[in-house]
Amino acid sequence: MPDGRVSSAAANGSSAVIAMRAVTKRFGDLQALGDVDFDLRPGEIHALIGENGAGKTTLMNVLYGVVSRDAGTIEANGKQVDIRTPQDAIELGIGMVHQHFKLVSTLSVVENIVLGQGGHVLVRKRRLAGVAERISELGERYGLRVDPWAKVWHLSVGEQQRVEILRALYRGARVLILDEPTANLTPGEADGLLEKLKAMVRDGASIVFITHHLEEVLGSTDRITVLRAGQNVGTLVPADTSTGELARMMVGRAVSLGGRSRDVAALGVEVAAAADRPAAQAAPTAGSQAVLTVERLRVFSDRGELALDGLELSVAAGEIVGVAGVEGNGQAELEETLFGLRKTAGGRVLLDGVDVTDEAPAGLLARGVGLIPSDRYRRGLVGQLTVAENLLCDRIDKAPVGSRLRLRRKAILARGADLIERYSIPASGPAQLAGTLSGGTAQRVVLARTLSRELRLLIAAQPTRGLDVGAMESVWEQLEAARRRGLAVLLISTDLDEVLALADRCLVVYGGRVIAQWARAQLNRDAIGLAMGGAQPGGRGGDGTDAGLEAVTGAG
Amino acid sequence: MAVAVSEVAVSRRPVWGKRARATINSLVAIILALLVGAIFISIAGASPLPAYRSLVSGSVGSEFAIGQTLIQAVPLLVIGLGLALAFRARVYNIGADGQFYLGALAAGAVAIGLPGTFGPLLIVISLIAGALAGGFWGWIVGFLRARWAVNVVISSLLLSYIATYIFTYVIRRPLRDSTASGLLGKGIPDAAQLPLVSGFGVHIGLFIALLLVPIVGYVMTRTPFGFRVRMLGMNPDAAQTTGVNSGRLIIVLMVISGGLAGLAGAIQLAGVADRLDPTLSNGYGFTAIVVALLGRLSATGVLLAALFLGALNAGGQAMSINDDVPYAVVLAIQGVFVIFLLVADRLARGR
Amino acid sequence: MNWNEVIGSSALVPLFSSGVALAVPTATAAVGECFSERAGNLNLGVEGMMLSGAFAGFIGTYYTHSVAVGVLCGIGAGVLLGILMAGLSVWLKTEQVINGIALVLFAQGLTAFVYGKLFSTSSTPTISTPANLHIPLLADIPVIGPVLFKQNSLFYIAVAAMLGVIFVLYRTRFGLSVRATGEDPAAADAAAISVDRVRWIALLVGGATAGLGGAVLVVGQLGIIQTNVTAGAGWIAVALVIFGRWNPVYVILGAFLFGTTDALQLRIQAASGGVTSGFPYEFFQALPYLVTLAVMVAVAIGARRTAQPAALGAPFRKEVAG
Repeated sequence: MPDGRVSSAAANGSSAVIAMRAVTKRFGDLQALGDVDFDLRPGEIHALIGENGAGKTTLMNVLYGVVSRDAGTIEANGKQVDIRTPQDAIELGIGMVHQHFKLVSTLSVVENIVLGQGGHVLVRKRRLAGVAERISELGERYGLRVDPWAKVWHLSVGEQQRVEILRALYRGARVLILDEPTANLTPGEADGLLEKLKAMVRDGASIVFITHHLEEVLGSTDRITVLRAGQNVGTLVPADTSTGELARMMVGRAVSLGGRSRDVAALGVEVAAAADRPAAQAAPTAGSQAVLTVERLRVFSDRGELALDGLELSVAAGEIVGVAGVEGNGQAELEETLFGLRKTAGGRVLLDGVDVTDEAPAGLLARGVGLIPSDRYRRGLVGQLTVAENLLCDRIDKAPVGSRLRLRRKAILARGADLIERYSIPASGPAQLAGTLSGGTAQRVVLARTLSRELRLLIAAQPTRGLDVGAMESVWEQLEAARRRGLAVLLISTDLDEVLALADRCLVVYGGRVIAQWARAQLNRDAIGLAMGGAQPGGRGGDGTDAGLEAVTGAG
Repeated sequence: MAVAVSEVAVSRRPVWGKRARATINSLVAIILALLVGAIFISIAGASPLPAYRSLVSGSVGSEFAIGQTLIQAVPLLVIGLGLALAFRARVYNIGADGQFYLGALAAGAVAIGLPGTFGPLLIVISLIAGALAGGFWGWIVGFLRARWAVNVVISSLLLSYIATYIFTYVIRRPLRDSTASGLLGKGIPDAAQLPLVSGFGVHIGLFIALLLVPIVGYVMTRTPFGFRVRMLGMNPDAAQTTGVNSGRLIIVLMVISGGLAGLAGAIQLAGVADRLDPTLSNGYGFTAIVVALLGRLSATGVLLAALFLGALNAGGQAMSINDDVPYAVVLAIQGVFVIFLLVADRLARGR
Repeated sequence: MNWNEVIGSSALVPLFSSGVALAVPTATAAVGECFSERAGNLNLGVEGMMLSGAFAGFIGTYYTHSVAVGVLCGIGAGVLLGILMAGLSVWLKTEQVINGIALVLFAQGLTAFVYGKLFSTSSTPTISTPANLHIPLLADIPVIGPVLFKQNSLFYIAVAAMLGVIFVLYRTRFGLSVRATGEDPAAADAAAISVDRVRWIALLVGGATAGLGGAVLVVGQLGIIQTNVTAGAGWIAVALVIFGRWNPVYVILGAFLFGTTDALQLRIQAASGGVTSGFPYEFFQALPYLVTLAVMVAVAIGARRTAQPAALGAPFRKEVAG
């Protein structure tokens, strides 16, 4: 095409719209991509899969100009191109929807779309109106309706994603890169998205679809490329493969969890048979009191909106209660409030029957509450302190590592080394700076610190976010072990597979309240998916009790 | 207002070189600042070399000079220690001057108002009164920050202005020195004045200051309290999540830094000025910030920095007398120096 | 102490007129600081920039007898300091709070030196401030007329500058980039905006307005110069941005409150009989600072949601981790 954009029609005899050859990228010591080839054919939906850290996002960041490549070439429409900035990529007709949206939440949809674009110095109402019209048009065409004048922070996660896609389309993207687009959608929304992508492809677009959800991949894509540890281990056609094979290619081995042998593919696709699972109480025995009780909790978010609106839940000793839901329904506020990091505006939090509402973190720690925070770098670790100091910072004034007036340096190192060994933390030593640890190792440190205390209640928020399968396994094992030890575990996770795999009871949070719950034996992925989208499960409305669901104290 | 501080993952750097590098950076910044100072001096119409010779002789060239340096260094040291501790937690107390004046005021009021029967205890009581007054003024800032997230920099500064007006009023009316022609407060009784150390002409407030160095140093590096303070400065969110009561810690830090500034004011009153004088502080509250930064927020660093800047002040006075160089040159050098220090530190660390 | 003289009905219009005039230097600096902070720059060096602008403005007018030259010098001084601040905060990315404090110390030292060098301590140099204009028609409106439309030329220049900054912030492409950069620099970066460039320019704008404010203070109102002539006006400007919740219109209103309080305390000082009287006029001298502090606290207590730009004070580094 005369404007240099990639063409959907085969051109120059080359059948690839995008061809990346021998791309290599290092970040310091880490080889993120090694000699990777990747090509995208016109009109196809090409899935790029691999576990966390395999290099999928990095490869696409190279294509989109966010990251520079150390070696290799990129061809668009058969012509070699040099993409150094996102602007270059946009000019070539490449658009990217990132996993973490790049939208300015205080601006409106149209302002976000106009942002960074050229054009007149003044931003007049008329121009914005023109953009709004085009957005509505595109929205209608592909089923991505959104209010162009709404401020982004008012929009749901799904709507925000639509804005990102519309922005790429508005800029004339013919190649669309989507990074983990279904991570924050309900299963129903995810299916809907895939349909919309097919519509775009029919209109001439070509799509790269990064995901680690294997079941999506087999149903809706034309080709699948698997990355592992920065290498391209193969490109397949869905018809020729299975989730099992893909899983093995992703990880390189079978994965075992909690004593059972499972393929990674089984993650989230099937729930282990109830018989497989070590005898657990699906519900607390009658008379056993809940360790954690949350009553009519009301909490405001930073933006002044009601994030939790009368949320209620309870967790008993020896059970894992999973709180599932799409991100943005109050999970972050719940995590913070339960650990005293955010003030309540109503309701109560009871620990073993004692009212601990609005108690400070120090007090909760003393009472045996532990938190694995969702943002491990912000809330979990101090990068400039050593591993030992991070492991012991919550007990730094207690024997053996210190007293009220003194720190015992040698004891800190010794005890730190002790914990490193006990929890198999792959650090070079207690004196290593925590800021140099990888994600998985950092999470092990947080877990070690938390689990080495005397706990009654463990709150685990997004505990495996961004971790590779090996680290994920380890975390799951530790959570299961905690449950076996009799801890009450509250698992807050937007990863539905994780909740399905671990939870004795599954709650769904939507709009700041728990709208449904299921006992383990009744877990039903479809119903849960609907609930995540706000649909009240059938039968009576709203209170979650239903013929198909188990009440907490009902028969197991 | 909570200021967002982003922390990028720290790369592996050899820790053993850190102190050496910091010292080199400080020296580079000093040399550059002195070079720029030489330019200022020539602009002022004097010639740099003789001026710098006065600077040196006026600061370390004689027993008297050393005494002057130490006198200048004492308030800088005392205030600087408090600021270093607070700055470690990113609690930026900029209102130390106001806390200084209120400390002097309280000490003076107590010394003047209490009957002479207290004897030598009078000094102790008035110093404590000074520390308490400064501590209270600092407490206000800490409380506002802990309770309602009010920005520490602004509130401490506004309170500093308010404090100087309070001081001015008191020495204009209730504690006025009616025999003086200008604005001057009363003198304190002899019993409340700090005795001198023979030879150098320095008051024993110097020893109080020196004693504070190992105490503050120990607190900073060897106590759980100091650990938490440092943690708060490095990552306040993680500190809070692991049980640090950040609100209480901030209040305590403001009380300590305000109290030390108040103590410095009381010492300055009792050791140097002997009367409630509106020019009691030579901008010590602000120069102490430079001292804390130059001292890399460590106790021994602050000691060395206070001595250096005290020497600069004393030498500057000598320069203004001998070579007709306005004292403001010293202020200009200090100002330039801070900028060079920031730049040198950053360039050495790599961007 | 004749209170009627101060706040009697005939005294109110002159009071407000004076209040508005006194507010303008701080307001100008505050609006510029608001612009700068909306881009994510925490510029605590405003006091230093205003002080430099005041000195440069005075010197410019003193030697050329031209108000225009003075104003330009003031703006220029502010811009130079803005460049220094940007070099530290945006290029070197050192801790922004410290940068600001360092800048103030630097400016205070430098201006004290220049003052000592140029003007001997015995005489107090003065310049004549421009006369008040009388805008036809508008000045005849009761109450508002004398307050707003009988000020001197520098007043209107400053007002024009403030309005210009507000216009740029909300109605231009660049202003949109500024608002994005302070809230979510990663998003702005992904939209192909150069975060550092936007922040540089925003700081220069902040410096220019602060320098202008200082020049207006000295050239337009005081007519004299002394060390620390700004007496904390720059710090007040930063406080105004906070309690105006980063909205330049509220910032201006806040400045007006501060200016009126200042005008009030000046009148009280005059009416109280001076240094020898028993009246505690120092309390009134402290009043503007007290009021500023009180309002800041009140806003902090009342605020349900944060209006602060999310990325304020945090240097932006491109994320490179895959």
